[in-house]
Amino acid sequence: MSAAHEILNEDQRDCYQELTNVAMGQAADRLARLLDAYVVLPIPRVNIIECSDLHMAIQDAETDSAVSAVCQGFIGSGIAGEALLLFNDTSFADLAKLMSYTGPLTRQAELELLMDVSSILIGACTHGIGEQLEIHFTQGHPVVLGQHCKVDDILKSGNQQWQRTLAIEIHYTIEHVNIECDLLLLFTEDSVARLNQKIDFLLD
Amino acid sequence: MSETHIEIGDIHWLMDILQNIDVGLVVLDREYNIHVWNGFMESHSAISPQKAKGQNLFKLFEEIPEAWFRQKSEPVFQLKTRTFTIWEQRPYLFRFKNSRPITGRTALMFQNTSIIPLESLDRQVNHICVIIYDVTDIAVSRADVKNANKTLTDIQSKDPLTGLWNRAGWEPQLVQQFNECQAAGNECSLVTFDLDNFRTYNGHYGHQQGDQVLSNIGKLLEKAVGLRLSARLGGEVFGLLLPGQNGEQAKAMAEKLRRAVLLLNSGNADDNIPKITASFGVASLAKDTHSAHEWLQCADKALYHAKESGRNQTTLYQHRPN
Repeated sequence: MSAAHEILNEDQRDCYQELTNVAMGQAADRLARLLDAYVVLPIPRVNIIECSDLHMAIQDAETDSAVSAVCQGFIGSGIAGEALLLFNDTSFADLAKLMSYTGPLTRQAELELLMDVSSILIGACTHGIGEQLEIHFTQGHPVVLGQHCKVDDILKSGNQQWQRTLAIEIHYTIEHVNIECDLLLLFTEDSVARLNQKIDFLLD
Repeated sequence: MSETHIEIGDIHWLMDILQNIDVGLVVLDREYNIHVWNGFMESHSAISPQKAKGQNLFKLFEEIPEAWFRQKSEPVFQLKTRTFTIWEQRPYLFRFKNSRPITGRTALMFQNTSIIPLESLDRQVNHICVIIYDVTDIAVSRADVKNANKTLTDIQSKDPLTGLWNRAGWEPQLVQQFNECQAAGNECSLVTFDLDNFRTYNGHYGHQQGDQVLSNIGKLLEKAVGLRLSARLGGEVFGLLLPGQNGEQAKAMAEKLRRAVLLLNSGNADDNIPKITASFGVASLAKDTHSAHEWLQCADKALYHAKESGRNQTTLYQHRPN
C-alpha cells in the first residue's frame, strides 16, 4: 500500500476548497429559503485529519452532554466516506425554533430535531459536492452516536485501520440563534486516490 | 444525463423488480397524492395499486402525522436532497404487521425510511419517492441488548436476596446525595446498622431462616425509605440515606426501625437463644464533612459506639462544635 504521507498536493487542496465553497454557496441559498434564516456562509477547511483527532472529537460528544453527534455513511462511484455532524453548545430550544417545532422538548423531541437538522445539513453538502464531481452519492441511514452504545466501544472496535485521511470541515453558524455545528466529511484512504483522479481531471 | 437505450422488454422486467423488491416504494406528488405503490406496499397494506393511486397519503393512512411527515419531505422538494427517518424516532410510518406473524416478537413492523427526490426532465422536483425498510429484527435485537445490559448492571449493583443496592450500587447514590446536599446546603443524614447476634441466630435456626430475616429487613427498608436510598452493605450490615432529615430526625427514624426489627422475632419460641436486634449509627451531614467517605466513617463510628454500649440501641454521631 502506498504510504499516506503525501495524500494531497497544494493544487489539489485548493481545488477541494473551491469545490466545497461552490457547493456550500448553493446549499446555503437553499437552506436559507427552507429554514427562513440566514445561514452564515461557512468557509470550508480541507485538512488531513489524524485518527486520534477524530477520537477526541467523538469522545467529546459522549463525555460532554452539551455535545451531540450524528454520523451518516455515503458512497458513490467507489468513493466512500462518512459525514459526522457535531453540535457544540447548541441549544435545542434554538434548534426547535429554527425547525418551527412546537411542543415539549423531550429526549424524543431532541432526537427528532437532531435527525431533521442533520438530514438537511449533511444532505445539502454531499449533494453539492457530488453534483460538481458528477458523483451520485448514496447515503445510508443516519445514526445518533452514543445513544445505544458507548462511543469508546465504537472506537475500540478495531475498524480504524487508517491513520490519517482527508477531511473537509465545515463550520455552520446560523444568524441570530445559538446554533453552531461542525460538519466533517471524512473519506476513506482508498477513496482519496479516486477523488484525486477526479480532481486532477478538473485541474487539467 | 447519459443516454441509455432501453428496450420495452427491459422496462417490463425493471417494473417486475420494483414490484417484487423487498422494500416499500411509494411515489408522491406535491399534494401527497400516491402515484406508485409497489408489491411490498400492496402486500402489507392490503390496498391494491389501483385503489391507492391518486389517493391522498394522509387520508388513506390516518396513522401518518401530516405535520411530521411534511417536515421530513419538504426539504426533499426544496433542496433536492434525501431525508431519512429511523425507527428510534418513530417506530413506523405505515402501521404494518410484523412480516413474521408467528415467531416475530413484536406485533408491528419497525421501519426506517428514506425520502428521495425524483427530478423531472426540466430538473424540477415535483415528485418524491418514499422507500420503506423493514428493520424489525434490528429493533428487536437492540431491545435485547438493552435488556441484557440492564440485567448485567443489576447483577453488579443489586443484592439478590433483599432487592436492595449492594455496596457497589449504593456508593454512587451516597456520593450523589453528598455532593447535592453539600452544594445546596440541604440537610441529609446517613444511617448504618448491623444486626446483633445474627451468627448465633443463624446457627440455631439455620441459614434459611437467617436469610428470611435479612429479606424481611429489606422489606422494612423498602417501606420506610424506598429502594433507591437503602442498601445491604454486606453480611448483616445495612445503610440508608435520609435526605432532608437532620440528626435528631434521623435518630427518630433509626429508633423506629430498631423497634420494627424487634418485632421480627415474634414466633421464635426458644427463649435461650438471643433475639435478633440491631445497633444503629446515625451521622448527619455537617458543613465540615469533606467527603462521602468521611461521612460514612462518622456513621460507622456511631454504630461501633452503639455496639460497645450494649447493642440494640442508636447512637447519633456528635460533630465537633464549630
